[in-house]
Amino acid sequence: MVRGFGWAAAFPDEVWEHVFSFLAADADRNAVALVCRAWHRIERRSRRRVFVGNCYAVAPAAAVRRFPEVRAAAIKGKPHFADFNLVPTDWGGGAEAWVEAMAEGWPHLEELRLKRMVVSDDCLELIARSFKNFGVLSLVSCDGFSTAGLAAIAANCRNLRELDLHENEVEDNCLNWISHFPESFTSLVSLNIACLEGDVNTSVLECLISRCPNLRTLRLNHAMPLEKLVSLLQRAPQLMDLGTSKFSADHHPELFFKLESTFAGFKHLKSLSGIWEAGPAYLPAIYSVCESLTSLNLCYATIQSPELFKLVSRCKNLQRLWVMDLIEDNGLIAVAASCKLLQELRVFPSDPYGVAPPISLTEHGLVAISAGCLMLHSVLYFCRQMTNAALLTIANNRPNLTCFRLCIIEPHTPDYISQEPLDAGFSAIVESCKDLRRLSLSGLLTDRVFKSIGASANRLEMLSVAFAGDSDAGLHYILSGCKNLRKLEIRDCPFGDKALLDNASKLETMRSLWMSSCSVTLGACRQLALKMPRLNVEVIDERRGRPLESWPDDFPVEKLYIYRTVAGPRSDTPPCVWTV
Amino acid sequence: MELELGLALPGSDRTPELGVHGEKRASLCRKRGVDEMLAKATLPLFIQKDNDEDGDDDSRQSKHLQDLNFGSRVLVGWPPVKMWRRKSNNCSRRRANCVKVNMEGVAIGRKVDLSLHDSYQAFFLTLGQMFPKKQHDGEESDAAYYKVTYEDEDGDWMLVGDVPWEAFIQSVRRLKILN
Repeated sequence: MVRGFGWAAAFPDEVWEHVFSFLAADADRNAVALVCRAWHRIERRSRRRVFVGNCYAVAPAAAVRRFPEVRAAAIKGKPHFADFNLVPTDWGGGAEAWVEAMAEGWPHLEELRLKRMVVSDDCLELIARSFKNFGVLSLVSCDGFSTAGLAAIAANCRNLRELDLHENEVEDNCLNWISHFPESFTSLVSLNIACLEGDVNTSVLECLISRCPNLRTLRLNHAMPLEKLVSLLQRAPQLMDLGTSKFSADHHPELFFKLESTFAGFKHLKSLSGIWEAGPAYLPAIYSVCESLTSLNLCYATIQSPELFKLVSRCKNLQRLWVMDLIEDNGLIAVAASCKLLQELRVFPSDPYGVAPPISLTEHGLVAISAGCLMLHSVLYFCRQMTNAALLTIANNRPNLTCFRLCIIEPHTPDYISQEPLDAGFSAIVESCKDLRRLSLSGLLTDRVFKSIGASANRLEMLSVAFAGDSDAGLHYILSGCKNLRKLEIRDCPFGDKALLDNASKLETMRSLWMSSCSVTLGACRQLALKMPRLNVEVIDERRGRPLESWPDDFPVEKLYIYRTVAGPRSDTPPCVWTV
Repeated sequence: MELELGLALPGSDRTPELGVHGEKRASLCRKRGVDEMLAKATLPLFIQKDNDEDGDDDSRQSKHLQDLNFGSRVLVGWPPVKMWRRKSNNCSRRRANCVKVNMEGVAIGRKVDLSLHDSYQAFFLTLGQMFPKKQHDGEESDAAYYKVTYEDEDGDWMLVGDVPWEAFIQSVRRLKILN
């Protein structure tokens, strides 16, 4: 037997590389890299995919140097609460540093996925020029670029397969950017332009679609009129994933028949979205594909309950349903009866700010779904009332939940029957659902619920808390429990210094912690930063008064973002952000 | 005063009314659409508040700011609806514009949300679904042959369809279908 780690040399590097190629999970590859120098070297040279959950956790040059043969990279920037206006727009998350480093060190890069980052047109141009074999660009919740940047991508990326623009803020200054795809360009498989506001030249798009036989995904934006949509779709009967444009028009029987027969021609359609402003006149045109759909996104369709019933109850094979609360309890009861394969449900509020008359969507709808859909594992549900009993029932019905996000719209809402806090209900969820990875709390909650979460939520990776808890004990329970917690985001809770300082080392085991409108003082932040050099403790204050150094220790911190990093304090903080 | 009545054939499914422990669901100002899918004559009445004259809901007006009012503070970023979704909803969804519709000779009135329609055609289609009328051969009509009148902001009764759609929805106060 060979002693020590010399056995690594028993096989040539290529053999180990091949073995490692079966390890998909980064955690596994990281473990492999720690075994011995040889494996570290082989692993790093053979890693093809890199995921950077926080763009400031590592310096771009360091990442590129460590893994020189990367073909696919995914990078995330701003904290999740940026989606809800809580993070200043100039906070950071710029993509330039990363794109420049990648252009330098990864010329063979094929796939780039950026989320919540600021991407400039210069970045897009650099991407377009630097990677000869570039195939996939996905921008999710990004901003900072315009259609001029997209034109550069279209013109230069000869082998582009996928252009996925999801919920970005895009300035429209190049109306004909689609025409920059050359005539010789035929490789498109997936195109998602749903977030673009401007008109897209339909005839140019039709030409593009006609010459791309492998096109499987097409998600259009709101602007295209229904007549044009029909002629476009007739060119792509092979589509598997369709996001329509505006789904309403003056009622013309001829147009309806064309639309209906176009949909009847889709033999492979599995996923449907868009359907903006759908009226009752044209919705029945979709009926022929309902049976084959596995994913249906109606959250931009302001369809009322009766039409929603008719549509959704035909979709017997649905696995994912995203819908507005206009579906109401009765609609969800129908879904529970018809869609037995449902795995993921998201119900969005049609009227979050309470202007229109209220909708009849309550806890009953969710309870019905939890009872009828045995494969349900992921829930996002906005409603206005809840009871502990309902949550208990849901927990007992669906111990296989992995993601449970409940948003009761009015903060501090108790169980509306017993007037109790909802501690018991959420405790039941975490105790019953042993594989729960993501949880969002709402309603009236005391420290008790955090005790349960800390004790029971062993697989929990992400927790969102708002308007909950009584004292520091709540935060302490979370940070001293929840073994696998990676992301914690808290707003408007009475959590303060003690819990934070007592659990400082926990923070290094997590990706990030966000706290806003809590009870943390600057002094605690200073202590934390001193104690934990591998954390960036960012204090965010938009009032722009005197610099941070002159503020006293008891100064209340409005917004706090703490994340682990090996790159030290970042150099691009805006005026409203201080790294303590 | 809250009024909740439902008409249905005997034996129709009423379980949605009951909660987990069988308690009656307490819901304020609940409005539901026609339950056509159940193919039963369940015709839910709308529930209205006393002062609900024009479809405006006074108590909600203080919340028409972009963010929710909570006590004296305006809450930023609550409820947690993505900015992007909020924007697209604002584009495609106008403020609810509900008007009452009565049909001559029919005791039970309905309410239609005009903001969900973008043309007379769509509007008549909805009316036809709300007040179906069987022809001699048993087929349901579209509402094209209905005489629909509306009361405008001056209190005058006019025939629906004479003015452009946009002007109509600004001035309409309530509707009456003539038999």
